[in-house]
Amino acid sequence: MKERIGVYICHCGGNISDYVDVEEIGKMLKTDDGVVISKDVMFACADSNQKDMISDIKEYKLDAIVVASCSPKLHLHTFKNVAERAGLNPTNYVQVNIREQCSWPHSDKPREASVKAAGLIRAGIKRVAYSESLDNIEINVKKAVLVVGAGVSGMKAAIDLARLGNEVYLIETDYFVGGHITQTENLFTTGQNGKEIVSRLYAEIKSYNNITLFTGTSVEKVSGSLGNFAIDIRIKPRYINGKADLQAVQNAMNDCTVLVNDDFNFGFTKRKAIYKNYPEALPDVTVVNAEALKNEKEFLAKHASCLDLTQQDEILSLTAGSVLVTTGFDSYQPKEGEYGYKTFSNVVTLPELNRLIELNPDKLIFNNKPVKKIAFIYCVGNRQTKGENKYCSRQCCSSAINSSLQLADKYKGINAYHLFRDIRTYGKQELMYEKSSKQGDIYIRFDEKEPPVVEQNEKTLNIKVKDYLTSKKELEIEADLVVLVTGMVAREDSKQISEKFKIPIGTDKFFNEIHPKLKPVETVIKGVYIGGSCQGPKNISESVQSSLSAASKINALLKGGTVSLDPVIARVNNDACVWCGKCAEVCEYTAIKEIESGDKHIAAVNKAICTGCGICAPVCPTNAIEIAQFTDNEIESMIDGFMEKIDLKVREKESESTEEVSGVKMKEYPQLWKNILETMNGNKLTIPEISEKLEVDKDIITYHVMTMHKYNVVVTEGMDKKELYYYYKLKN
Amino acid sequence: MAKVNPEFATEIKKYGAHDFNACFNCGNCTATCSLSDNNSSFPRKLVRYSVLGLESEIEASIDPWLCYYCGECSTTCPREASPGELMMSLRRWLTAKYDWTGLSGLMYKYLPFTIFAFLATALAVILFAFSKSFEVDTIMHFGHQFEMWAIIIVFTAILIPNLARMWWFVILKPKIKVKFLTYVKGMQELFTHMFTQKRTLGCDDSQSRWLIHLIIVLGYLSLLFTTVVLDWFGTNSLFIILLGYAESIVLFTLTFIFVRGRIKKNKELNKFSQPSDWLFVIWLFLMAFSAFLVRIFIDLDFIETNLWLYLFHLTVLVQWAVLIVPFGKWTHFLYRSFAMYFEKIKQPA
Repeated sequence: MKERIGVYICHCGGNISDYVDVEEIGKMLKTDDGVVISKDVMFACADSNQKDMISDIKEYKLDAIVVASCSPKLHLHTFKNVAERAGLNPTNYVQVNIREQCSWPHSDKPREASVKAAGLIRAGIKRVAYSESLDNIEINVKKAVLVVGAGVSGMKAAIDLARLGNEVYLIETDYFVGGHITQTENLFTTGQNGKEIVSRLYAEIKSYNNITLFTGTSVEKVSGSLGNFAIDIRIKPRYINGKADLQAVQNAMNDCTVLVNDDFNFGFTKRKAIYKNYPEALPDVTVVNAEALKNEKEFLAKHASCLDLTQQDEILSLTAGSVLVTTGFDSYQPKEGEYGYKTFSNVVTLPELNRLIELNPDKLIFNNKPVKKIAFIYCVGNRQTKGENKYCSRQCCSSAINSSLQLADKYKGINAYHLFRDIRTYGKQELMYEKSSKQGDIYIRFDEKEPPVVEQNEKTLNIKVKDYLTSKKELEIEADLVVLVTGMVAREDSKQISEKFKIPIGTDKFFNEIHPKLKPVETVIKGVYIGGSCQGPKNISESVQSSLSAASKINALLKGGTVSLDPVIARVNNDACVWCGKCAEVCEYTAIKEIESGDKHIAAVNKAICTGCGICAPVCPTNAIEIAQFTDNEIESMIDGFMEKIDLKVREKESESTEEVSGVKMKEYPQLWKNILETMNGNKLTIPEISEKLEVDKDIITYHVMTMHKYNVVVTEGMDKKELYYYYKLKN
Repeated sequence: MAKVNPEFATEIKKYGAHDFNACFNCGNCTATCSLSDNNSSFPRKLVRYSVLGLESEIEASIDPWLCYYCGECSTTCPREASPGELMMSLRRWLTAKYDWTGLSGLMYKYLPFTIFAFLATALAVILFAFSKSFEVDTIMHFGHQFEMWAIIIVFTAILIPNLARMWWFVILKPKIKVKFLTYVKGMQELFTHMFTQKRTLGCDDSQSRWLIHLIIVLGYLSLLFTTVVLDWFGTNSLFIILLGYAESIVLFTLTFIFVRGRIKKNKELNKFSQPSDWLFVIWLFLMAFSAFLVRIFIDLDFIETNLWLYLFHLTVLVQWAVLIVPFGKWTHFLYRSFAMYFEKIKQPA
C-alpha cells in the first residue's frame, strides 16, 4: 500500500479547466486516504511543473503519483520519466485522462464532466495505492540468427548480420541458393543477370566463417522464445556420397541418360536426373533425383562409389536468439483456361517468358515456330476486385516492360502489345515505360469488367479486346505468343511457416508486420522478424531494403547480449495453481507451459514470450494467475474509487453561461457566430454583406452561416434577386 | 472489329511522322486545338488510330484535312509525341492513298525517286529544245500550248479520278447515305473554302499566316490565268503586262517569306520540313521569279540571246505541272476544300 501519494490535476491551459472544475476537484481530493498533496497546475507537462513535481516527491517523500491530464498516449512516458528522475519507480505512476474523456466530449455538460473527472482521478489514486515497484525483465540472448530463405533478401541480411558479429544460420529449401532471381537474365533497372548477383552474394557468404548455409533444408520445429529459440531443421539428402571425388560425380552426371522435366525452365527443356539448376548454380554440388533413378539398378551399381540412394533426411537442432523470415513469394499460377493458359500452347506466364528469353540466344522460337508478335496481358491474378488477390504486385508492370525492351534489344522485328489496366512503373522505372512506348510498343487499356479474350486461330493466337482509349473500340490482335503478366502470391507453404513461428497471416496470405509504417519488419512474436516479399509484393530493391532493415533491428536487439522487456506480464501464484491447463489453452503466444514444482504441476509463464495481453487471467478457476499492474487489488480498488460519492461544489457561473437560442443548446457559440449575430442585429443580410461588414473571408462566412442555418440559429428570408444570394436573419 | 497493325507505324514514319508512339492519350492536344469539335475530334483520336494502325478508320477520316497545323498540339504535348506533325504526315499518306497512280506515295517516301523524276523532266525539256534546234519562238509557242494541255490532262487523268477515290473512301465505302440535293447544296461550302481557306481563321495563331496564304493562292491563280489565258509572254497590252508583273512580284516575295520561315524554323509547323514541303514553296518561288525575269527579258529584247532563261522557266513550269501539281503538295488545295465539302454533306441535315 502506498500511503504518500501526490496528485496533480492539469488545466491544460483551459482545454480542461474551461469545463472541468479542476480547482474544486483538487481541494476535494486533499482529504482522500493516502493523499499527501493535491494541486491543480496550468500545464502539468511544462518543464517548470516537472521540476516542481520532482522537488515535491523528494520533499514530501512521495511513494506514488497520479497526474490527471491528457491521454497516456501523449504524456505517459513524460511523467514516468519525471518519477524516475525523482528516484521513484515508474510503475508507481498512474495517468488519468480527463481531457479526451471528460472536458472535450462533455463540454456541453460541465457539471457532469467535473463529477466524472473527479471519479476517474479518485479511481487512479486508489489504483496507485496498490501499485508495486516493478523492474524491467532482463533476458539473456544468444547472438545467433536463423535466416529462413536464401533468396536475395535472405542472403543480403545474412551477410550484414554476420559482418556485425552474429552467428548466422541461413537455410534454403531448394538445393541451390538465389531463389527467383536466378531465373531472369535481365533484371530491371540495372540490366544485370540474376545469376551474377547470386554468385557475388554467395562468394561474400563464403568469406564469412560465422555463416552456416544449409540447402535442401526446411524448418521442422520451433520452440523457445526471444533470445533462445530452439529450432529443428530438416535437411534433405542430395544422394551424393560426401566422400566421393568430384570427377566421379562428374562422370556419373555425364553417364546419366535418364531425363526429367527441367523445373527450373518450367518444363520447356529436359534435364538429367543428376543435375544442377544451371551450370553455375551454387553451392557447386550436384543433386540426384532419386525418384527418377531408383529403378536404374545397373547405372547405380556402376556409380555406387558416388551415388547413395539410401541417404535419409537429417534433423539438426540449432539455437538462435532471433529469427529472420525471408521466404519470399510464389508467382501466381494461372488457372487452366485463364486467358487460354494451358488450353493453348502459346500462352505462357511472364516468368516463363523470361526463361524462354534466356534459352533463346539469337532467335525467339517457341514450339518450333518463330515468335514475332507478343501480346502481354497485365494484372493476371492480381487486382481482382472480386477475386482472391485484391492487391497490386508492384513489380509486374516494370518487369513486363523490361522484358519487352529486352525482346526488342535481343531479337529483330518483335512487335509487342501491352494489354494493361493501369501502368504502374513508379519512380525511376517510368523511364522504361517511356522507352518502350517510344520504341513502338502498342499499349491498349482494358477494364477488369471486359477482359481480353484469347482465341486460337489457324496459325496464331487471336486476342479480342475493347480499347478504353478509343471509346471501347473492339480490336483484334494477332499474336504468336501471349504472355500473362502474373503477380506475386504468398508462398504455398507460408501457412506452415506461419504456424511454426506463430507469425500472423493477413487476408492476402502474406505475413503481417505489426505496423506497416512504424514497425514494418517486426512481427507480434518478439524476436521474429520478416523481410522481403514474404510480407507482400516487393521488387528486389524493396525486398533487400526491408530485409536489411530487419537485420539492423535484429542486431540492435542482440548486440548487448541481454534484452530488457516491459514488466507488465502474467504471474502465477504457485500455491493457488492446480494446473488445469486452461490458461495455456487460451494463450495465443504459447507463453504458458506446465512445469513441476515440488510435488505438484503448475503453470509457468515464459517472461520472454508473454505480452501481458491478460487473456489467461479471467479463465483461471482458482484465480492463480494475474497480470502485473493489473492485479485484482488494483482493478477492484479503481472500481470502488469510482463508485464513491463525489461531493463537489461546482462553479455556478458555468451553467448560467449556457446560451439557449432557439433549439440549439450550447455553452458558448464560437466568437465568429457571436460576431455574425451581432452584425445581423435583427436585420436580414446576405453572406457577402456579412463578409464585408466583418471583414472576414467570404468562404469562411459561408461555411459558418450554413452551419448556423443547419442548427436553426439563423433562417433564410427571401433572396437578393439581383445578386442571387439568400438573406439570412436570426431565428425568432 | 478492327485489326491492330503495328506495321502502319513504320509506314507512316516514312511520311514524316515521328515519336507519336509515345502518346499516352491524355488528350491535351485535342483540348488545346481550336478547330477540334464534337463532330470531328482530333488529333488525339487519329494519334490513337495511328498507334494501333487502324488503316481503314484513317483512310475514311477527313479529319487530317480539317487541321491547319498551327502546332499548338505539338508544343503542349507532355510526351513530345508531335501530334501536329502526325496530322501533316497523315495528309501526305492520304494524298498517296487517293492517288491511283501510286506515284504520289513513291515521291513522298523515296527522295531518290523524286530527284530522279525532276532530273528526268529537266532532261526532257532540254531534249525537246534540242529537237527544235533551240528556236526561241517555237519553244515559247510550245510552252504556252503546254500550259493549257497540262492543266486539262492533269485534271482529267489524275486529279478528278483521285477526288473520286477520296469520295469513295470517305463517303461510299463507309456507306454514308447522302441525298443528291445535299451534294448540290454543299457546293457553296466547297468554293468558299477553296478560294478563302476561311477555316484557318479558326486557328489560334497569328492571322497573318492566313492572309499571306490567301494572297499567295489568289496571286498564283491569277498569274496562272494571266499567262495561260491572257498570254502574258505574248501580249502587247500594257495592262496585262503590268498585271503580270504585279502578280509575279507579289507571288515570289511572299513565297520567299515562306521559304525563309522553313529555313529559320520559326514556327512549330516549320520545324520538320519534308522534301515535298521544300519543293512546293521553292518551285512556286522559282516559277514566279523566272516568269518575272522572262517578261523583263522580253521587254528588253534580251530573250532571243538568252534562251537559257526561258528554258529554265519552262523546266520549272513542267516539273511543277507534271510532278508537284498531280502528285505533290499542290493537291492539298483540292483535298482540303473537298474535305470541308464532304464534312458538310456528311452531317445529317
